[in-house]
Amino acid sequence: MRFSFHRIDERIQLILIATVVGIGGGFASVGLNRSLELGREFLIKYRGDWYSFIFPAIGAVFSVFFLVYIARDVGGHGVPEVIYSVTRRGGLLRLRSSFSRLISCALTIASGGSAGPESPVVISGASIGSNIACLFRMRDRQRITLVGAGAAAAIASIFNAPVAGIAFSLEAILGEWTATNLVTIAVASAFGTEVCRVFQGNQIPFKGGPFVISNVDFVACIGLSIFTCISALILMKLLRVVRHISSKLISSAILRAGCGGLLVGLIGIFLPDVLGEGYESIRAVIYGHPFDGIMMAGLLTLGKIVATCLTIGTGGMGGLFAPCLVIGSFLGLFYYKILLLIFPSVNWAGQAYFCLLGMAGVLSSVLQAPMTGIFLITEITGGYQVLVSVLLVSVVSVSLSRLVEPFSVYHQELVARGDLLRPRTDRRILSELNLVELIDQNYYPIRPDMRLKEFIEIVKRTDYDFFPVIDPKTNSYIGVISVDDIRAYLFDPHLYDTILVEELIDPSIPIVSLEQELSEVIDMFDYRHDATLPVVQDRRFIGFIYKSKILDHYRKELIVEEEI
Amino acid sequence: MKNELLHVFRNTPFGRETLFHSIYFCKKAGMELRVYIPKFKQFLMYFENGVVTVDLDASYLTDPATAKEHAEKIIKDAGLIPNFIEPKSYTASTLPDLPVDFKYMTCPRSMSDISSKIGLGYIGPKVRNIIKHASFPVLMCTPVYKEWKNITVFFGGSNNAGKAVRVGIDIGKTSGFPVLLFTQAEGKPKSFYEEELDKKGLLQPLKDMGFNWLFFEKGDMKINLYEVSHDSLLIVGAYGHGPIKDMLFGSKLELIQSYLPNNIIVVGPNYEPSFALT
Repeated sequence: MRFSFHRIDERIQLILIATVVGIGGGFASVGLNRSLELGREFLIKYRGDWYSFIFPAIGAVFSVFFLVYIARDVGGHGVPEVIYSVTRRGGLLRLRSSFSRLISCALTIASGGSAGPESPVVISGASIGSNIACLFRMRDRQRITLVGAGAAAAIASIFNAPVAGIAFSLEAILGEWTATNLVTIAVASAFGTEVCRVFQGNQIPFKGGPFVISNVDFVACIGLSIFTCISALILMKLLRVVRHISSKLISSAILRAGCGGLLVGLIGIFLPDVLGEGYESIRAVIYGHPFDGIMMAGLLTLGKIVATCLTIGTGGMGGLFAPCLVIGSFLGLFYYKILLLIFPSVNWAGQAYFCLLGMAGVLSSVLQAPMTGIFLITEITGGYQVLVSVLLVSVVSVSLSRLVEPFSVYHQELVARGDLLRPRTDRRILSELNLVELIDQNYYPIRPDMRLKEFIEIVKRTDYDFFPVIDPKTNSYIGVISVDDIRAYLFDPHLYDTILVEELIDPSIPIVSLEQELSEVIDMFDYRHDATLPVVQDRRFIGFIYKSKILDHYRKELIVEEEI
Repeated sequence: MKNELLHVFRNTPFGRETLFHSIYFCKKAGMELRVYIPKFKQFLMYFENGVVTVDLDASYLTDPATAKEHAEKIIKDAGLIPNFIEPKSYTASTLPDLPVDFKYMTCPRSMSDISSKIGLGYIGPKVRNIIKHASFPVLMCTPVYKEWKNITVFFGGSNNAGKAVRVGIDIGKTSGFPVLLFTQAEGKPKSFYEEELDKKGLLQPLKDMGFNWLFFEKGDMKINLYEVSHDSLLIVGAYGHGPIKDMLFGSKLELIQSYLPNNIIVVGPNYEPSFALT
């Protein structure tokens, strides 16, 4: 008997493919890490030279040139594209996305651009998942899960943090926690992490502690939450402003990124710690480097925010994960120094402790994903001791930032376009239904010059309630008549020969076109309390759409979603 | 699936010829014409099992100020109603998504502005990618507008060839043009091909139309292709029987597109006819 992959149980299929996706995601992040190391090693001997401030500009120019002209991809860090594919396109992603942003990002960061390698790795892993799912001809829902698996594997392997990978995928990418998703994503995340450990060793990137945490520290966390919330809001707002202004001022994508890179390079002359992805700076803060006072810590925080917005906002390739961590660590340092200044006699838990909490707070607020922030910080610092404090800072910071910015940095663009459809929401379910499949093409066309008497005979013969009036010469749609429209004339036989059908048409009945979203059609039904609407395309009558049929399909789709 | 043909307009004299082809096809095959005037260098088409990125050459963005006006005039002069597509969804701000529920799409052989790439024997990678994923057949036009007066369907017995025959019957019925089958027998008798047609429910509709069959038991296909009328619309299945059929176009299609300068409709592997033949 011939073996068929599709005969295997669906869950086993997903687990098997998730293994491959996890390994693929792992290799993507290992590849990017190695490229960054090579780039840094190559440039390090020139870092002290006077002209090194132009490195970020050169890197940004090459990065955009590669992305636009060689890979023929579009800018942006890619996570909104992954979320869009999950919510609107059944998880379909382009194959070129699996490598284009990785190379582009390596050029940006290695040259000193202030960005992180995580978002490009996320789209790379997600694209690997999507394309492997296509190769195995998986269905939409399975493909979406594998996209999430790829994203999880990427985050897990780049940070050596499997649980954070799972949390990020479920929280930020898929937006739902289901059993099938969880198992598949966990498998991919585990394999992605293992690939990273085989090639890079099982290291904790920013090991901190042990800490002596007192109740005073715990109370101080709330103050830090406010600081992290404000920093995250400034970052998100400034990123939008830079993006808007730079695209207005400079139309060429390459020139724009080059200018952004140049400004970052200039900032780097005075604040070299803001350059690159900044992991060394985080280590320095955690391991107790003093960074010369409060002012310096504050400047570094602001400098990193500005450098990140200039790099990413002008089109440089890279993500926000690493910059958020760096900003958070500087902010934690800044806050710690303020505490020392105001309460010098208190025995605080230490610089590293507030640095970790700052990282968690900023990351959670920018991503609006508290679980990701909590798990990531505890995993990358090996600091389960600070779990409760991290939890508090993340949750308070996210709650506060949501008051001002209800959506994460990844979701803002999609929300503005109306493309963020979260699972099990009304719009998402409606988007799963196909308007064409809901059209009823059983109808009886009526001529406009038909007399009422003739029409009544047709009504008697058929069981339709609505009749399209169609011009027999041009075959174009004129209007609709319902049985209710003729009720007033039924008991006056004198009118039977005097009234023509076209006189009975209600011109206020709206027309549905095939291009419309089903959510718009529902709005049309609700607006006039109609139950039936005509569907017309290019003046041709296609059929009727019934509210009852939509609701019937809506319920079936809801049941399917619930079963999953 | 809408009864529409998708045309991506190129605001150049070459693009004008392609638009003439689309207009003629729409008139003969009873289609509505939907025109997309690109504003960006790329667009995406999300098919059921894959996404296709169409990278357009700079020629597609030639003089955007006059593009719509030019297209509108050509379409109106031909007696059709101009109907333009405005993408509703964007994967990224400069990456529009085009709908894919069309019945046909028109493409030149290559979406390139390099003139050496518009000759015989070359189908560009973007066009190949569209054919591979598309849920509709793709009409590949000749560089210069030429009307077709009959339909020749290449039938070698495969499933894709069967789909090509269905498309041929559909267009033949609507246009009223005669339909011919072209078969280069590969050591099998004519009865085998008749049986294949019958199994696919195509023999009787073809007989009802009074079709002719160019059946060659011997000879080189290259030489036999001379029998195909110069004003014929060719319809070919993209993939044949080979072991790597899902990766490369069939050898017959490559031969046909290298030797015949006619307009060709290529029926890809993901196309499923959704219309009845009766």
